[in-house]
Amino acid sequence: MSANPPKPPAAAPPPAPAGPPKDTFTVVFDGTPIEVPKHLNLIEAAKLAGIDIPHFCFHPRLSVVGQCRMCLVEIEGIPKIQAACTTPLKDGLSVKTTTDKVKSGRAATMEFLLINHPLDCPICDQAGECTLQDNSFGYGNQLSQFDETKRQYPGFDRTLLGPHVIADMTRCIQCTRCIRFCHEIAGTSELTFLDRGGRTLVWTHDGKPLANDWSGCAADVCPVGALTTREFRFRKRVWYLNKTRSVCPGCNVGCNTSIESKEEIVYRFLPRLNPAVNDYWLCDHGRFLSESLNARDVHKATIRAGSSVQDVHVPAAIEKIAQEIRKTVETTGPSGLFFLGSAHLSNEENFLLRKIADHLACPNRDVVVDKSRTRKVKNPKEWVSGDEAGANYRGAKEMGLEPGRGGYGLEAVLSGKASPECILVADAGFAAAADDAEKVALLRRARFLGTAARTANALTRAADVVLPAASLAEKEGTFTNVQDRVQKFDRAFLPRPPIRAHWELLLMLAVAIGWGDRNWTPADVLEQIAAEVEGYGGIRAGDGELEGGALLKKGDFAWAGQP
Amino acid sequence: MEPVLTRRIGKENSRTIDGYVADGGYAAWKKVLSEGWTPERLTDEVKKSGLRGRGGAGFPTGVKWGFIPKDTKGKPIYLLCNADESEPGTFKDRLLMEQDPHQVIEGVILSAYAIKCKTAYIYIRGEFYLGARVLEKAIEEAYAKGYLGENILGSGYALDLTVHRGAGAYICGEETGLIESLEGKRGQPRIKPPFPAVSGVFNAPTIVNNVETLACVPHIVNRGAEWFAKIGRNEKNTGPKLYCISGHVNRPGVYEAAMGLQLKELIFGDAYARGMKGGRKVKAVIPGGASANMLTAAEIEDCPLDFDGVAAKGSMLGSAAIIVMNEDTCIVDAARNLSKFFSHESCGQCTPCREGTPWLFKVLDRIEEGEGRVEDIDLLARICGQMANGMTICVFSDAAIAPPLSSVSKFRDEYLHHVEKKTCLVGKRALVTA
Repeated sequence: MSANPPKPPAAAPPPAPAGPPKDTFTVVFDGTPIEVPKHLNLIEAAKLAGIDIPHFCFHPRLSVVGQCRMCLVEIEGIPKIQAACTTPLKDGLSVKTTTDKVKSGRAATMEFLLINHPLDCPICDQAGECTLQDNSFGYGNQLSQFDETKRQYPGFDRTLLGPHVIADMTRCIQCTRCIRFCHEIAGTSELTFLDRGGRTLVWTHDGKPLANDWSGCAADVCPVGALTTREFRFRKRVWYLNKTRSVCPGCNVGCNTSIESKEEIVYRFLPRLNPAVNDYWLCDHGRFLSESLNARDVHKATIRAGSSVQDVHVPAAIEKIAQEIRKTVETTGPSGLFFLGSAHLSNEENFLLRKIADHLACPNRDVVVDKSRTRKVKNPKEWVSGDEAGANYRGAKEMGLEPGRGGYGLEAVLSGKASPECILVADAGFAAAADDAEKVALLRRARFLGTAARTANALTRAADVVLPAASLAEKEGTFTNVQDRVQKFDRAFLPRPPIRAHWELLLMLAVAIGWGDRNWTPADVLEQIAAEVEGYGGIRAGDGELEGGALLKKGDFAWAGQP
Repeated sequence: MEPVLTRRIGKENSRTIDGYVADGGYAAWKKVLSEGWTPERLTDEVKKSGLRGRGGAGFPTGVKWGFIPKDTKGKPIYLLCNADESEPGTFKDRLLMEQDPHQVIEGVILSAYAIKCKTAYIYIRGEFYLGARVLEKAIEEAYAKGYLGENILGSGYALDLTVHRGAGAYICGEETGLIESLEGKRGQPRIKPPFPAVSGVFNAPTIVNNVETLACVPHIVNRGAEWFAKIGRNEKNTGPKLYCISGHVNRPGVYEAAMGLQLKELIFGDAYARGMKGGRKVKAVIPGGASANMLTAAEIEDCPLDFDGVAAKGSMLGSAAIIVMNEDTCIVDAARNLSKFFSHESCGQCTPCREGTPWLFKVLDRIEEGEGRVEDIDLLARICGQMANGMTICVFSDAAIAPPLSSVSKFRDEYLHHVEKKTCLVGKRALVTA
């Protein structure tokens, strides 16, 4: 859950569109009429009017249960106070959100929610992004006359419910979001209410573990600290975390994520709303890759001389690669070169590699990807599924990393049909093959083997030159997902020198062999992609939508000035 | 008034179909078929009779039936007989089901016909094991004689009736809680709208009627709506009514009388409870089950026991469960006991009820045990005020606040005595305070 502090009502609601279309209702919020789409819940409609209706159990993608009784409002014509979430929208509905009755009703619900809550915010991981804290601050009375013993849940506190999620029922406010998530989105129904009345608790049914592929989302939807993830628990206070818009590296679905980091350490991934891809969700596989972004073995550029490996400056290592390339072109011509891109690298990086190959007139280029088990995520329209272990295989291929006319690919190299003199592997972690000693030995038959890496593997141990490369969190770029959607990820923090992003290393190499401009940024490269790569014509770096991570599908949009 | 609903209670063979038919049973059903009554005519007849739901809310039955949409979009219509009689102090439906099951079944059949329903259920509370067995046996008999099943008595009309036993939850007597439970889910009331008549059990139009309500229908058919409407205090409170009286009276039990019987007559009349046990004075009366506000001894003067009569006294007839407490009763203890019930039975979905009902109990418990403070009395009233009038999905919490709220306002002196003297006004719970 992202922090959701109560916002003061906006001064003026958005102006109603002229000539209201048929699919809207006119709803009056505190005397101001606005047009809202018919399908919205009243809570969402109020948001359009700039009015925050506090709530716990309502979630835009889960069924409406009306249980928490926080979203109380007055509806003109109905004497009793009403839950906003269960009030159907209709034309002319007049909603009052600031009356004394509403205020005292919400304060009453807050008081009831807190009487048995442990108020252990100082040791609770949810603190800082807790809806209970926010709503208490915004709508509660701050004090209570409750002077009885608080409810305890012996045996149902601080317990792992599955591989990732830890439950603490003393903090639970029985909103059933997690139950509904497991039932309605994951479709696995592990969680249920046990017992009733004040003894009601959420637990797994029949002791089966909460082990669906999206179990972390159950902790996301939990508005309080009742469900937290084992991996993030006690790692960092959330208010210290910086949020960076990113894309999950886990597979080719390309779930939109928020990288949450502090002082060059990634603490967690959270799903970032994109209704066209992952909606509010993120699978556990992707979510818990966050930790892997902190791994680093390669801190410096290295050059192998015989059996000894020397640390060198990155420019020197780049120059060494450029020398080897020139030497190969002089002795065997461009056909002695082989360039391997990566499904883990951005479109910009793969494009730069292709341009280097183009500049050298070398048709020998390729990109491969490992197959993984099918991973999927549900958005309002469909399940999006992918089965590739890299996030950008599709983009890498579209950037032109396939054998050109008369060229060969990785398979030919590994089978011995082709024997390149000089191999450049842009990403040492391109696939499982890179840590397969036999396959690396086949690559090693080349006179020169260069690569860029973050973590060590069989390939980095065998290579002649290893460049220190940045992680996903340390660079920006775009991925193209399984839907052919181009999605931008931002840089959370800069890599520590001399580590550089792959795109920068590739650009340095391009300049060293006589092409490109050292001052280009990924945005400049993306402009070139837009100009040169088929289907990418409409994509602009720096465009608000792309920046915002609300994403573009090639061909289904048009910018101003676009034919 | 001559007994109507209870006319066969205590008779030999009161449970068998032969006995029922011999006493004129199933005549109403045969009348409807032989005279070619349309469902609409039957509904109109019930509307004209002024029959109001006997489960507690007192909603006009015929009007409720009329809420079924004309076009059900191909969905079947269901009739559910609410036999989850759980309101503390209520035991009238139990009597009807255990003693005269065919009267209930005939009522179900007629009502099902009126709403064009082909599948009906009797949802009976789990504790009524005998009632469930008696009903099942009676239903078997009715099938065998052709009153249920395909082509009933050659009319072409078909109806299946099934007894479904609950698992013992008060909230499953709330009609949408009952529907959820019948569907095999956790018994939690649903958000309304949609109302059951539009979307009830299995998302199909559904009518939920109380046992006693349905049992009235054969008599309305047999003797006419006018006859029924003439019984009772006025045209808005008609028909015979079963009253359950319990507590400190000489002869507790179920009594049938015309709607609008005076409360004092029920307590003191020779035909009814025959006065207070040991000649003690009345201190308080709960006129409509645990959910109803308590009445003081003064308030029971001129209190006709019908929907509007009791409402005029600031309480409700509810399920007509009259609980009489004598002067030796500790009101705080009584409120504590009732609060414990509600705290135990809250389904737990809405915050104010889930958290409020145990809180009320804990405060009342503290006061009763001599650990209360003066401010606790106003606290009780404040908690109650935060639980009602739209704060929750169903009216359970509105019911749960009745005992504490009414007792705090009407018997404040007893509460004050408890918190100030740390003893009970009636001396039941004298605590040594040194």
